[in-house]
Amino acid sequence: MNNNKNSTLSVSQRLQSILAKNWAILFTLIIILIFSFTGKRFFQLANFQNILHLSTIYLLLTASETFVIITGGIDLSVGFVMGLSSVLSAKIIELLHAANFPPALSISIGSIVALIVCIIPGLINGVLITKYKVPPFIATLGMMGIANGMALIISEGFPVAYLPRVLPNIGNSYLIYILPGKAISFFSKPKGIAGEEIKELIRIIPNSLIFISIIIFILWHILKNTKFGQHTYAIGGSMDAAVRAGINTNKHLIIIYVLSSFLAGLAGVFYVFQTGIGIYTSFGAMYELLAIAGVVIGGASLMGGKGGIIGSVIGVFLLGVIENGLHLSGVDPFFRYIAVGLILIVAVIIDQSFPDLL
Amino acid sequence: MSNMVTQRNGIHRFFLQLGSKWAIIFLILGAILFSIISPGFLSFNGIQVILINSPFILLLALAETFVIITGGIDLSVGFVMGFASVVSAKLIALLVVMGMNDLFSIITGIVITLFIGIIPGFVNGILVARLKVPPFIATFSMLGITHGVSELLIKGVVAKNLPVLAGKIGNGSLIYIVPGKTVSFFIKPLIQRGGNLIEILPTVFVIPFIFILIFAFILKRTKFGQHTYAIGGNVDAAIRAGINVKNHLIKIYMLSSLFATIAGILYVLRYITGKADAGTGFLLDGIVAVVIGGASLYGGIGSVWKTIIGCFIILVLENGLRMLGFPTFYKYILVGIVLIFAVLVDKLFPELIHKEN
Repeated sequence: MNNNKNSTLSVSQRLQSILAKNWAILFTLIIILIFSFTGKRFFQLANFQNILHLSTIYLLLTASETFVIITGGIDLSVGFVMGLSSVLSAKIIELLHAANFPPALSISIGSIVALIVCIIPGLINGVLITKYKVPPFIATLGMMGIANGMALIISEGFPVAYLPRVLPNIGNSYLIYILPGKAISFFSKPKGIAGEEIKELIRIIPNSLIFISIIIFILWHILKNTKFGQHTYAIGGSMDAAVRAGINTNKHLIIIYVLSSFLAGLAGVFYVFQTGIGIYTSFGAMYELLAIAGVVIGGASLMGGKGGIIGSVIGVFLLGVIENGLHLSGVDPFFRYIAVGLILIVAVIIDQSFPDLL
Repeated sequence: MSNMVTQRNGIHRFFLQLGSKWAIIFLILGAILFSIISPGFLSFNGIQVILINSPFILLLALAETFVIITGGIDLSVGFVMGFASVVSAKLIALLVVMGMNDLFSIITGIVITLFIGIIPGFVNGILVARLKVPPFIATFSMLGITHGVSELLIKGVVAKNLPVLAGKIGNGSLIYIVPGKTVSFFIKPLIQRGGNLIEILPTVFVIPFIFILIFAFILKRTKFGQHTYAIGGNVDAAIRAGINVKNHLIKIYMLSSLFATIAGILYVLRYITGKADAGTGFLLDGIVAVVIGGASLYGGIGSVWKTIIGCFIILVLENGLRMLGFPTFYKYILVGIVLIFAVLVDKLFPELIHKEN
């Protein structure tokens, strides 16, 4: 009798553990339900697309942080590497644009150069952490200052704003436009509509969603189905065991930090496409901390060895829905900060209470 | 082991000695370098400026020192500072409106704020010590909560309408000298327009410095300090040694919040406004100062004096660069490099740490 109880969980226990394991997604669904009643125009396709569109940067940063946190590290530099990449790409595009290069060419060169440059901070982080055994917190904190300073020097403390008009058009347009009963077009608005008709236009699938879905799918696949992913979990679970299993942990960790920096760079370039300007990251933005929050809400542990891309995506989505929903419900936007804090505590306490989940 | 030490020759020991003191040597060299390049740097006014700018980073770094020695981290101090600045500014303005005398409302406001300001630390302590939430997460949550609450209190703007007296206290000095005539403390003597008045030791520096002296003593000489190191060194050993680790950690996080609160109050006295983001930027400088001072984020190592050296390295860099006409941008880069350098020195010469402890 006793043995039975120990070996198989009772129904209520199993239910509890399912609830605890999926609390983030359940919680998201519940608040979506609540906001649908309280928020004006919350439960609409346009609004959900908007939430996703605005979450793109956080999704990239959170994905990068997911890899690092699973290895048991932390990357505090992502927010400022993003600022560096945003400013650098914008500056290059601005210069080329001013020199009468065609927009497509200047945008491509600017983006690619920025992405390549953004590998450097990650490489330095990785080498410091693996070869010189600098704790990740400190190495990336130092890099955060350096990246911030660089971004400020490049931009001279101002937004980089003289960019081709086409940039924000690419970043903010949708895959499909439908004018009910009249027209349908792809990638840009149907021609010849104006005035009242523009309000009836239905926009489906933002470009950013296609972009982020591809990135997230690739990262999810790498983490879940490849040897690289397995090794990442192994290093986070037990460094010694990973070394004994023959994993080249130093090389692996350097790749992880380079990947993290690269994704942050990608977020910076995307930011330029989204807003049409390049801007340094301000101290108050706390991108890195919010990204870490997303990862932790998604079920990762800062001790390493736990977490996943899907969980992190849910974490980001939860934070995005809260921000948007509170705003549309007319609640003071500052409640958002408090909400993030409370949810984070709840996430960790749930994780502590059910240690045998994963 | 002891044989090896005795076998080492004098030169080696000299360099070891030098290496273990690299931070203070770096500070002195930096100060000399800047004073050669820009003559005003080591002048009376140059030093006063550094002292006036020092209190916030000193207090937040002091807060981090205690927390980091226990092996934790407190990300909330920056916004607790902002929270305290908002709460005290609001309270003082409210008391003045209620018809209370200026000085009395300032004192009452400050005392009440000190009690309110400990609450975030208490909650942090409970979360970390009792509920086993990792310090990084617990204090980050508290960062969000204090940020939100203070923005709500001031509805997204700044807290104003403070009595003029507050600014007089915050921008005053400890000693005033009218050359050849009088010397007075705290109260500015009346002088004629254009008269010569020397102000020594700004009040905003004196107050944190007194706290620092007290807490340097506590950390070094008392049982409380010993227990702090013991917890950071090895929690299990500390528990076996009969230390009430949970209570001690709660006290440490409350202390951390208390320092941040004092910083917030000083901010109000200095700038006559309360701002939710008063402490943004100081948080990182505070952590960096502690690490430059040789503390380990794994706990058990660090001291108040070395943290102060770390703080002044940052302040000297900041002020020196500013006097040379560089924008603040370069400070971020240099501080980042010094931070990494500090840890590399410890890693490449592990003897340095063992020698000192």
